[in-house]
Amino acid sequence: MNPFPILLADLRSMRFSAVFMIILIGIAVAIGVAVGAQERALRQASSRAAADFPLLVGAPSSQTQLVLTTVYLQPEALPLMEGGILNALLRDPGVADAAPLAYGDVVMGYPVIGTTTGFVTRWGRVAPTEGRIFEKEGEAVVGADVALPIGQSIRPSHAIAGHQSMPGVQDEEEDNRRHATRIVIVGRLPATNSPWDRAILIPVESVWETHGLGDGHAAGVGDGRIGPPFADTAPGLPAIVVKPRSVAAAYQLRAQYRRNGTMALFPAEVLTSLYQTVGDIRDLLMVAAAANNILVLLAIMLLLVTLAMLRRKRYAVLRALGATRTYIYLAVWLTSSTLVAAGCILGVALGWGGAVWLSALITARTGLTLQPTPGLEEALMCLSMIVIGGLMSLVVAVFATRGSVVQCLRS
Amino acid sequence: MSHAQTLSLIDVRLDRYDQGGAPVRLLDIDSLVIPAGLKIGIAGPSGAGKTTLLDISSGLLTPTTGRVTWGDNQISGLRAGADALWRRLTLGFIFQDFHLLPELSVLDNILLPAWFGSFRAPIELQGRARELASRLRLPDMDRPAGVLSRGEQQRVAIARALLHDAALIIADEPTANLDAVNGAEIINLLITEAERRKATLLVATHDAALLARLDQVIHLKDGRIGVVP
Repeated sequence: MNPFPILLADLRSMRFSAVFMIILIGIAVAIGVAVGAQERALRQASSRAAADFPLLVGAPSSQTQLVLTTVYLQPEALPLMEGGILNALLRDPGVADAAPLAYGDVVMGYPVIGTTTGFVTRWGRVAPTEGRIFEKEGEAVVGADVALPIGQSIRPSHAIAGHQSMPGVQDEEEDNRRHATRIVIVGRLPATNSPWDRAILIPVESVWETHGLGDGHAAGVGDGRIGPPFADTAPGLPAIVVKPRSVAAAYQLRAQYRRNGTMALFPAEVLTSLYQTVGDIRDLLMVAAAANNILVLLAIMLLLVTLAMLRRKRYAVLRALGATRTYIYLAVWLTSSTLVAAGCILGVALGWGGAVWLSALITARTGLTLQPTPGLEEALMCLSMIVIGGLMSLVVAVFATRGSVVQCLRS
Repeated sequence: MSHAQTLSLIDVRLDRYDQGGAPVRLLDIDSLVIPAGLKIGIAGPSGAGKTTLLDISSGLLTPTTGRVTWGDNQISGLRAGADALWRRLTLGFIFQDFHLLPELSVLDNILLPAWFGSFRAPIELQGRARELASRLRLPDMDRPAGVLSRGEQQRVAIARALLHDAALIIADEPTANLDAVNGAEIINLLITEAERRKATLLVATHDAALLARLDQVIHLKDGRIGVVP
């Protein structure tokens, strides 16, 4: 038997309500898919961005803020710790490398961060795609998304905590806070898909000197030299990123630097608790979306039963012409299931599209590159919708074939 | 060529049981035997049981008592599925309201009974559908049935009824919804097609012009057969 001509005829006969039903199911499914895909993308992108920051040391304050400011470059004033800690860390046998992160300046909305070549190359993992790493004060390396050419001379301005201007756009306010220091861009880093793609990296000595704090090296030791070792009296620092030699060393350092005016943390642990909160919200939204889906399905099924009852005479004619009850049953079930399945597929597309759109917004705001893809969970949700819709369609088919042919013909 | 057989209704009674009341006898036939290939009209006032007689003859209704047979086959009491197969291969049903699927094309409407049995309509049935369409003057087979005139719609319905080379053609008021010109054409087609395949034709109608073209007319009154001229 071939029920598809009946399916086609039925779909055509209710084309407006069919389109309406598909869209309705599509929107319901899309919400769940978008929430799931978006949350996963956020988790993946944020943990990827944190990979370059094994251990962070900062002055005691909010752990979350330290992570947000160092890893995601959220402009916020962090309390400073003694600069000598950097040297102490560099001398520690458990430390493979440590780099200061000095924030506070900005050029055209791009944050300017003072650090060492060790962190610029991510401990030797990355090389500039263009130009070279800075070799002396007054030179800068920019992130992949900084729209400034190599060779361009820039003058950093003082940033305002909590204020984030559009990257790449000259903020008039910046002029009023401009430092005298001139810096030349000498290189560009490959994309890391993190907010650091919008950062301008300069030697930490330049940051200190710009603010009149000296160069952080012991007096008379190699003038103009940059990088470690630093003086034990180096100016204060908001954050130090540490690359421990081993897991054991990492835990030891974390314990050791949790006292005497410092705090140490693995960004991963802060992210885990953040993910837990985000995950709870996501779970709540998913439950709401699932309940929503069931309600929409129920309403659709009610509509389908009504429409099938209206077409009972048509089905009775087919049976009078020699169609079996099974044939009608199959045709009605297929029609109804097709609508649900089409709605679900539309929902995945809409949800994915929505998540991509939302991700683009988040990327534009934060520089964190999100790549949402529907995962197993959304696929399962969509599949279970199709299965539930298929089961409910059995009921629709029962209503369509209920009663004798003669009763239906004369109705 | 169809293989019409004798249609007989023996001691057929059909009662309807309404709640709280005595049963109403809708049909009460002692014996009606229609030899193969005869064209029979069923006349009578509304409510006389004309449609009920057709429904019982086609196996859509099972009589309360009695036997309906087509040759050696007992129609009343066929298993579900077997009755559908019998209707599909033996019977051609034509309704007063045509009952086409307006969303499908003329050709697809004619081929409809073929899909009840197989996924693809066999080539020979496709050929027969086209032949029927051209013989019934339905040149544009891709037009949706919903846009056809009433006369054209009934011609499609006749072609659909004849797809499986029906041996028993049952028509319920086939001309009631047509004007005189279209009615006359449908009468011609029905008679011609029934004679062409020597099929038994059973028509319930008020249409005197149609009754005049049939071999015999059965007059029904209150579910009983009156005069058989």
